[in-house]
Amino acid sequence: MPGGYTGKILRVNLTTKEVSNLPTEKYMDFGGGHGMGSAVFFDLVGAQLPFEAFDPRNLIVMMASPFAGTFMPGSGRCEVQGLSPMLYPVEWFGHSNFGGRFTAQLKFAGWDGIVIEGASDQPVYINVVNDQVKIEDATNGVWGMDTWDAQQEISRRVVPSLKYGEWAELAQNCFTTQIPAVVTCGPAGERKCRFGALLHGPGSQAAMCGFGGVFGSKNLKAVSVIGNGGVPVADPQALMDARIWFRQFQWDVDNPHEAEKFESGYSLINGSPSGGNVSNGGTNPVPARAAACASCPRGCRMRLATADSNESVCAGTMVANIGGGGMFGGFGRKPDPKAMPQALSSKLTRQGNDLMQRYGIGHWPFMAVNGYIGALQREGIIGPGKQIDIDLPPAGTMAYYETVFRKIAMRDDAFGDFAAEGPARMAEKLGRYQQDVHGGTLRLTYWGTQEHYDTPTQAEWGYGSLFGERDLMLHQMSNYPLHWMITSGNPYMSAEEASQKYAEAMVPYNDDRYLVDYGDGPTGIYSDSKVKQVAWVKHYEKFWMGMGFCGWRWPQCITNNTNDYRGATPHAEPKFWNAITGQDKTFAELMEIGHKIYTLDRAIWNIQGRDKKMEVFPDYVYDKPTNGSEQPMVVDGKWTYANGRGRQLDRAKVEDFKERFYKFEGWNPDNSYPTRATLEKMGMKNVADVLQSKGKLG
Amino acid sequence: MLGGKKAENDETAAKKRYSRRDFLVTGGAAVAAPAIITAATSPATATAAVDGPIPKSKGYLVYDSRKCIGCTTCMLSCSLTHYGQQNLSLSRIQIIQDSFGKFPHDLTIAPCRQCVEPVCVRSCPVGAAHVDADNGNVRVIDQKKCIGCKTCLKMCPQQPHRTVWDHVNKKSSKCDLCIDTPYWNEKGGPGGKQACVTNCPVNALKFVAEAPNQEETNGYQVNLRNEHWLRLGLVDDSRTVIPRPAPKMMGGGPGGASKPGAKPGAEGPGAKPGPGGPGAKPQPGAQPKQ
Repeated sequence: MPGGYTGKILRVNLTTKEVSNLPTEKYMDFGGGHGMGSAVFFDLVGAQLPFEAFDPRNLIVMMASPFAGTFMPGSGRCEVQGLSPMLYPVEWFGHSNFGGRFTAQLKFAGWDGIVIEGASDQPVYINVVNDQVKIEDATNGVWGMDTWDAQQEISRRVVPSLKYGEWAELAQNCFTTQIPAVVTCGPAGERKCRFGALLHGPGSQAAMCGFGGVFGSKNLKAVSVIGNGGVPVADPQALMDARIWFRQFQWDVDNPHEAEKFESGYSLINGSPSGGNVSNGGTNPVPARAAACASCPRGCRMRLATADSNESVCAGTMVANIGGGGMFGGFGRKPDPKAMPQALSSKLTRQGNDLMQRYGIGHWPFMAVNGYIGALQREGIIGPGKQIDIDLPPAGTMAYYETVFRKIAMRDDAFGDFAAEGPARMAEKLGRYQQDVHGGTLRLTYWGTQEHYDTPTQAEWGYGSLFGERDLMLHQMSNYPLHWMITSGNPYMSAEEASQKYAEAMVPYNDDRYLVDYGDGPTGIYSDSKVKQVAWVKHYEKFWMGMGFCGWRWPQCITNNTNDYRGATPHAEPKFWNAITGQDKTFAELMEIGHKIYTLDRAIWNIQGRDKKMEVFPDYVYDKPTNGSEQPMVVDGKWTYANGRGRQLDRAKVEDFKERFYKFEGWNPDNSYPTRATLEKMGMKNVADVLQSKGKLG
Repeated sequence: MLGGKKAENDETAAKKRYSRRDFLVTGGAAVAAPAIITAATSPATATAAVDGPIPKSKGYLVYDSRKCIGCTTCMLSCSLTHYGQQNLSLSRIQIIQDSFGKFPHDLTIAPCRQCVEPVCVRSCPVGAAHVDADNGNVRVIDQKKCIGCKTCLKMCPQQPHRTVWDHVNKKSSKCDLCIDTPYWNEKGGPGGKQACVTNCPVNALKFVAEAPNQEETNGYQVNLRNEHWLRLGLVDDSRTVIPRPAPKMMGGGPGGASKPGAKPGAEGPGAKPGPGGPGAKPQPGAQPKQ
């Protein structure tokens, strides 16, 4: 085996209670992480599709990568894959991921990933200590626990001798000081909430896709892993050299390259520590540590002196808006004026969000649910004596969030059961999908996930999501380094310079200087340049991001940490890959594997029912003029920063763009199905055969 | 989350010839002699007699556990350079953390202290743990001589013990300040580089030549933060962030989602202009005092 791999994937069948393994080598062509997960999924159940997410045939696939357990910067996330009960209108084969140290421990235990099949007849959790794997009874106190208690209780059970600050003997003469890494669903997942999250630690969520609900459907509470093995490295000297070389791209905490470019959006770009927890700020922040996931040199999270909001970031610190958030006074639904003065407390905001974490409710989808509850209250559909009869406390109070979270997690009464279905199905059940989603009240822009950034301007985000299965969540593409550089008030490069340096990093399409033109002219959002940019984004997402990369770290096409503002991409990725694996791959070669993985995912979606006609945005995206979003654009033949305000997405041009994109990817432009020629060229004849048998070959 | 401070096993404690405080409160004085006689690893490199004075090491690792971000890069650097693999259990510096804990007690940095009075050296029955006179008197373990008796692990007065069981070779090991790094072509030891210090992304580890105060952790736990760290909004227990005017902002936050009724295409919470997005820095003045 090349370096970076352990050589085996753990396979657990909860129906038969059989524990076995798959050889990693069988899936090596997909690299690892997401790609390997897709290949395993297709291998085991692809031909049986379509079926639904709560079907016992659904798999939970959690794949590590060659980077997991190493100090490749920002590669500590765990990719989770399977059919998603949250996505809409089809429960697409989806992916979500969470930070922390789960995949590192998985590798140390000797596994390249875990595949979970079937469903148990009673609640269980999986206990992995090195090569010892047990399916443990969860009925004895663990099932029913919130996510925090469950993790701590399971840690105690699986390594009884472990005490904080001491060595514990994991196996005979094998010791560790580390605490087991546990990922668990909460009460929401146990009751198959469609946006039930997986939690690892107090705040690391796999928020998207409702995989907590899939855990629940399998009577699976948690997976615990710990090991004291190592990750083999092909060229340790080269890996050490790579990490030392990488320092130039990091924020130097003692002597920042441009200390003044630090505040606000800049922190999104330069990778300075903390900052992910926006509920601990203002004039009186609680003392805190900047806390990193395994191997991350940034440490965007915090652990507070009060331990509330520990390791939560972004939406996980803002969604329960009880006011007083460090930035906006919260995020999402605004407090009801009647909630004052309680709606002034950042501490309550943190505790409210912690409640969400403990119930195991996905923060990002809850944001849409919460907003929609407010809209339905205003419409007179939710309220005392109304169609959905409930008297909720005023929004913005802890009482409101306590009530809403509990009812959703417990599917308590008609309201809780309704809201636990997630935003798209809430609208569908009321017969308001067309009115509310297409009308723009409930902005579920991509497959039941909410609008994130402005589609008509930050176009690759919209296209990349639409041509995927959910919100793209790839912040380090145009969004942080370009959009936030501008909106932070003092862009440190001209639009032309930024766009050219950005494009230079986007191998193999780097000869095209209009890749990041967000104008609507001939080289803009409908152009062949944008086709290439979207392809680059998807290939990067499938290969590199799927390796456990963090979207707040990678890609790094530009940065203000270096003198010339050039980032680590595309040099760092293959440098680390080759040092660890011992291979001699170029960035472009590995991006082509991303193309292959994307095509496999596409094939799975096609079997599930995806075709060209389905890939359209809700009407409001086309029909309503946008307020715009600052980006580099070519306007009247010149690069400039502009926001595209008033722009409307043109349906005909989008349709034409789709066809060119499908063709570029080697798929049939008439229906989006991959062709046999493309699949066989990629070494996926078996996929072509299955597609043909399903009548879905392009 | 798991327990608290070590409740020392009585039997183990009884086996220890000297209490932890016997060594720690003395400021380095060798009050615990006479010790077990150890043999020199070689006449040229080891201190033969360990019942007499032992020269101080010319190098030490000090740390700032409040600055540490817990990424474990130091541990992985240690195992990589010494063993060619990335393995937390083989690392001679241990970062122990509890995600659910309260700062600053959520994390412990546990490197070898290169004790002025090295119990591991004094207690090793075969002289495997010894003072490397050729390399700045660093306390090291010669695995060729180690018989795997674990005496040095049991005798180390620190919690957790800083001598580390190498489960692969079934020998003891310990920090050598990177004197012997077969997988890193870099001079280590005093005057050289240490892998953990080199790769720590936030400079929470530091090499020093002078022996720190040996009492408890007073000399090893140091403040390595400067004004730039304080600007991160993390605050420590001695200073607060100095309020500054918020920079001019052009745009709003992310989204537009979950704001039913919001204006088409509006950005940000409530569609109001405002600083930052997810991950944006706290702005003094943005939050009412509580």
